[in-house]
Order: sequence, then structure tokens, then C-alpha cells
Amino acid sequence: MSQSESILTKRLRKFRRLKRGYYSFLIVTIAYAISFALPLIANNKALVVRYNGQFFFPVAGYHAAAEFGEQAIGEADYRELKTRFEQEARGNWVLMPPIPFGPNEALLDDSGSPPNPPSWRHLMGTDDRGRDVLVRLAYGFNISMTFAIVVTLFGEGLGIAIGAMLGYFGGKLDILGQRGIEIWSSLPFLYTIIIISSVVVPVYLPGHAQLAQPSFWLLVVILSAFNWMGITYYVRGEFYREKVKDYVGAAMVAGVSDTRIIFSHILPNALTPVVSFAPFVVVANIGSLVALDFLGFGLPAPTPSWGELIGQGMENLTKWWLVFYPNGVLFLTLLLVVFIGEAVREAFDPREYSRLR
Amino acid sequence: MSSAPLLEVRDLKKYFPIRKGLLSRTVGHVKALDGISFDVSAGEVLGLVGESGCGKTTAGRCILQLTEPTSGSVRFEGRELVGLPRRELRSLRQRMQIVFQDPYSSLNPRLTVGSILREAITTHKLASGRAADERVADLLAKVGLSPSHAARYPHEFSGGQRQRIGIARALAVNPRLIVADEPVSALDVSIQAQVVNLLRDLQRELGLTYIFVAHDLSVVKHISDRVAVMYLGTIAELAGSAELYANPRHPYTVSLLSAIPIPDPDRRRNRIVLRGDVPSPANPPSGCRFHTRCYMAQPLCSEQVPLLREVAPGHWSACHFTEAVAGK
Repeated sequence: MSQSESILTKRLRKFRRLKRGYYSFLIVTIAYAISFALPLIANNKALVVRYNGQFFFPVAGYHAAAEFGEQAIGEADYRELKTRFEQEARGNWVLMPPIPFGPNEALLDDSGSPPNPPSWRHLMGTDDRGRDVLVRLAYGFNISMTFAIVVTLFGEGLGIAIGAMLGYFGGKLDILGQRGIEIWSSLPFLYTIIIISSVVVPVYLPGHAQLAQPSFWLLVVILSAFNWMGITYYVRGEFYREKVKDYVGAAMVAGVSDTRIIFSHILPNALTPVVSFAPFVVVANIGSLVALDFLGFGLPAPTPSWGELIGQGMENLTKWWLVFYPNGVLFLTLLLVVFIGEAVREAFDPREYSRLR
Repeated sequence: MSSAPLLEVRDLKKYFPIRKGLLSRTVGHVKALDGISFDVSAGEVLGLVGESGCGKTTAGRCILQLTEPTSGSVRFEGRELVGLPRRELRSLRQRMQIVFQDPYSSLNPRLTVGSILREAITTHKLASGRAADERVADLLAKVGLSPSHAARYPHEFSGGQRQRIGIARALAVNPRLIVADEPVSALDVSIQAQVVNLLRDLQRELGLTYIFVAHDLSVVKHISDRVAVMYLGTIAELAGSAELYANPRHPYTVSLLSAIPIPDPDRRRNRIVLRGDVPSPANPPSGCRFHTRCYMAQPLCSEQVPLLREVAPGHWSACHFTEAVAGK
């Protein structure tokens, strides 16, 4: 080998060789990246409107119906506008996204009463309020992934910092810290979140905008606050093992500060359990959000959420598209992330040999 | 010892508590270091030898305050180190460095050799940017490695090369004192000689002071000006290197010397084989700590602790019958 390689580079190379995990990783990352462009792909707002020689970009901003010569109050209905313009044939046109339905749009003017079964218009049917299931699942993917990743970052970050402190300084701090963690872990998570959700309900005061409600970030904070304990044990253990090694002593003798020793010397050597756990923590967090949404303590309606759709499937067991698609998408996502997790675990295995390929 | 010593160690003790039971009561102490005293003058190499578990390594670590001593005093350049706040210690550490025994655990596997060396340099603001890079290249050349090795990771080096990197790291901050904690014990014999010679050459070139810890008397003989023989946390004998090897005045030294293999199968000699194991430092023998294994022990030895006394100019021995040892 002519080129010097860090351990990380080697592990990344090994990860790339584990095809199942690597392809899962590519699929999930690309799907997640695309999901940020969803407003351009699935939306009830037009991408471009050409009206009386002028261009409008409704995706980027609000345009009242009156601006396009419509009688209605509120925002323009671009699908209607499109049919009207086509009938008029006066050089005005509307460019809709490939899927011209919004995630929170109740399509009550469809024939039949919702939920409507899959058709060419709605590939996965509509839910009980006439919203397109495919569009809601797609938006829900973005929200679920973002939520899970953010909670994982916050929770693991907190866990790493606390575990590192306990492990590095040891002694009384360690004993007290661990007892504190044990007490904190024994708080029942679900009850706490139910209590918080019932206290923090949308509050309206005269003359004020809505004050507070169980929002995305509130849920992130609550879940992170209950999700950091597990990793502290591993990080603490790694620190106990690493801190007595001579390279730490050498750094101390070189006069390197504690903070630098913790973060740039020991931490990189203590990250293996963190990295190996991360994908599984993401899986757990997606699960938590779905469960909370299912129970109705999650993100406020009408946020497109998987748990809420699965709940609808529960209530409408005969409407197979409400049972099959939400559960299928959840299953597929979790499966792919677990595949990633397996490959990461294997690539970071300190032993070189492999049983899983 | 004409000039003022660079390092004065006085009655240095390190007891590790033995904890037991539910409440971790302290039920006793492992007396790893039980009152050692010596001076090291600038430019001198003091060898510290003894069996495993005699406290050599603890002595080295206590001198650098890597392990906090239980009591005693360590004065470096006339300044007391014991009890010094970490912040002040940090700046002093530029002048005292350590080379570790295990070349595998003493280098951070995540950092390149260059960044390991750079860190010491930049921490003490000795150089930065290009100047630091040049200094890294200098250091690598000094320990017999190529400057291009700076971009490599420790796992790409052999044990001997890693030990050279460890030496380069110690040299990076221009120290005056280096504690070499069994720097060659983990290496092959052929490599041992190279590393010992490197250490000796560097010492002469840079005027360094070493405390050279080893369990191998022949290695120590090669490099040391003076040698301290340790047994169970105390110093048994301390003398100039040549004097100690030619004229040992403590039975323990005599037996250690007799254990050095001589590459001559025909030569017959009086081998003194010590009986038994080193007693537990948690419960050291009464009187002279060596009396349980000494071939010339007398009743007095188990009753009275022999003091380290000067038996000849510059030659100290802690034995009641040191004259008898000399006559033998």
C-alpha cells in the first residue's frame, strides 16, 4: 500500500464493499435528498403561470385568485385555472407539478366519497379526508427522516458529551452522574409526553397569534431528552478504557488541555459504538414518531404523518390502500435503514473477518 | 554532584488504596513507592532498575506528576512539583517529557505521525504553520525516520519505528529531562540496541538528562552514568554505573548481576538464584524488605529497616551487612 489511509478511510471503503448496506444507503440518501424538492414534484400550486403576458411563480409565493381574473376568495386554484386557460386558448397557460395535489389538500370534489381507492389520478388512493395518500406519504417521509435524524443528532450529542465527562473525570462525578441517569431513565417516557402534549395545546389569546402547540421542535426536544441515556454507558466505558492508554498520558505530558484530550484524542477512538448504533437509533426514532402520531400525541394536524395514516388504516381496515401503503412504506424505510446499520456495524467491526455479506 | 541538581526527589511515596466491600472501604494500601530519594544533575543519565512491580514505573510517573504522589517532594529546576496546580504544571511540562514502554498504545491510532508531533509543538507555541512542519521533519530526521513519514498513521510502522516516533514526540518541545519508561522492553533485542544507541546519541547531542527505567541491567549499564536498584518500592543501592557493576554492595544487586546472561557457554560462575517471589507490596516484610529472599539474611534483618547510607563516595546501599557483601 503506497497511500497512507486513516482508519476511517479504510472503514468507509469497507462499507462501500458491503453492497446491500451501501445500496440501501444510496437509496435512502437520494430519496431523502429528493424529498426536499417535493414542493416542485407534488403540489397543488403551479410551478409557472403565464397570464396576460406576465410570468408568475406560485410555488415561491402566494397569489390570490383575483390576480388571475377569478371570482373566488383566497388563493387561486391552479388546477381549475389550468382547465379554464386551456378552454379559453388565449395564450395563457399553467405548468403544474407532475403530481398536481398538495399534501394537505382535501379533494372533496372527486366522485364518490373519500376514502377513494387507487386510480390513475391517485395512485395510492385518498384518505378519509380526500387527501392523496401518495403525496402525504412522500411528504411524511421527509418529515419522519428529518425528525429521526435531528433527534438522533441531539440525543447522541448530549449522550456523548455526558458519557465522555463521566468516563474521563470519573470519581464522584461519575457515581453521581450515573445515579442521576438511572433516575432519569426510570421516568416513563410515554406518560411524560402525554402530559406535556395535553398541557401544551394550541392556545389562542385575543389579539395574539397562536401561542404554542406541540410542534416539531417541541417533540424533538422531548424525544432527545429521553433518548440520550443509552449511549452514555457505551461512551463512558470507551473513555474508561481509552483514558489509561499511554497516548493520553503523552498528550497530558505534552500539556494538552482536558477539553482537547477529550474531544480530539479520546473521542475519535471512542466513537465506534456511537456510529454503529446511529442507524438503529434513527430506526427507533422513526418508530417513536409514528407511534406518537398514531396515538395522536405527535405532530399537530394536518402535518402529513405516517402514524396518522396508519391510524386511519386501523379505523378503515377494509380500505386496503390505507392499510397497505402506509405500513409498506414504513416497513421499507425501516428495512433499508436497518440494512445500512448492519453494514455500518460490520464496517466498524474491530475484528477484520466478516460473517455477513 | 557538584552543580545544583536538575531534579531532587525526596521521600517520594505512592500508596494505592485497596478498596473492598459495599462501601469501598479502604482496607489497606499497595505501597508501590515507599519513600525514595535521589538527585539527578543536568546532563546525567540515571538508570532505575528492579524486578516487575518494584515501583520503577510508578516512580517515573510520579516524578512527572502523571500519577499524583501520596507524599514526598519532587523539585525540578528548584521548583516543587507536588501539589502544583494543573495550569502551572502544564507550562513546566514543556521541559520534562516521557517515552513510554508500549509503542503500540502510546501513539493515537487516529492521528498521523505529523499531527502527533505537531500537537506538542503548537500546544507550547514553539512554532506554527510552515515552521512547525519543518520542525516535524527535523525531528523525524533526528530519530532516523524520513520526513515523508509525517503523513503516515502509526499502524503503518514497526515497533522500533513507533518507539522512534515516541522519542521524537518527547523531543518536540525541547525538554531538559526525559523519563524513559522501559523504552526498549517491548522491542526485539536487535532493535533494542538501535533504540538505546539513538537515545544515547540524542542525549550527548542535545545535553539531555534521562531517568532511564528498565528491568534489564545490561541495557541500563550501556547508557547510565549512575544506577539506582529498586526493590519493593525502595532503593536498595545507588551508585555510579561502573562502580555498581564492578563492586555491588547490596545482596540484591549481587544476585541481579549474577543473572545477566554471558554469551560464553564455557564460563563457569557463581549464580545466585533468588528463592520465591517478590513479596506483596500491600504487605511488605518487616525490617529489610529483601530479607525473605536474601542469601545472607541475619535475624537483625527482619527486625530493623536498613537505611540507605553512603558506603563509599557516591555509593549508597541499604543493607546492614554491606561490608560483608563487599568482602565476598
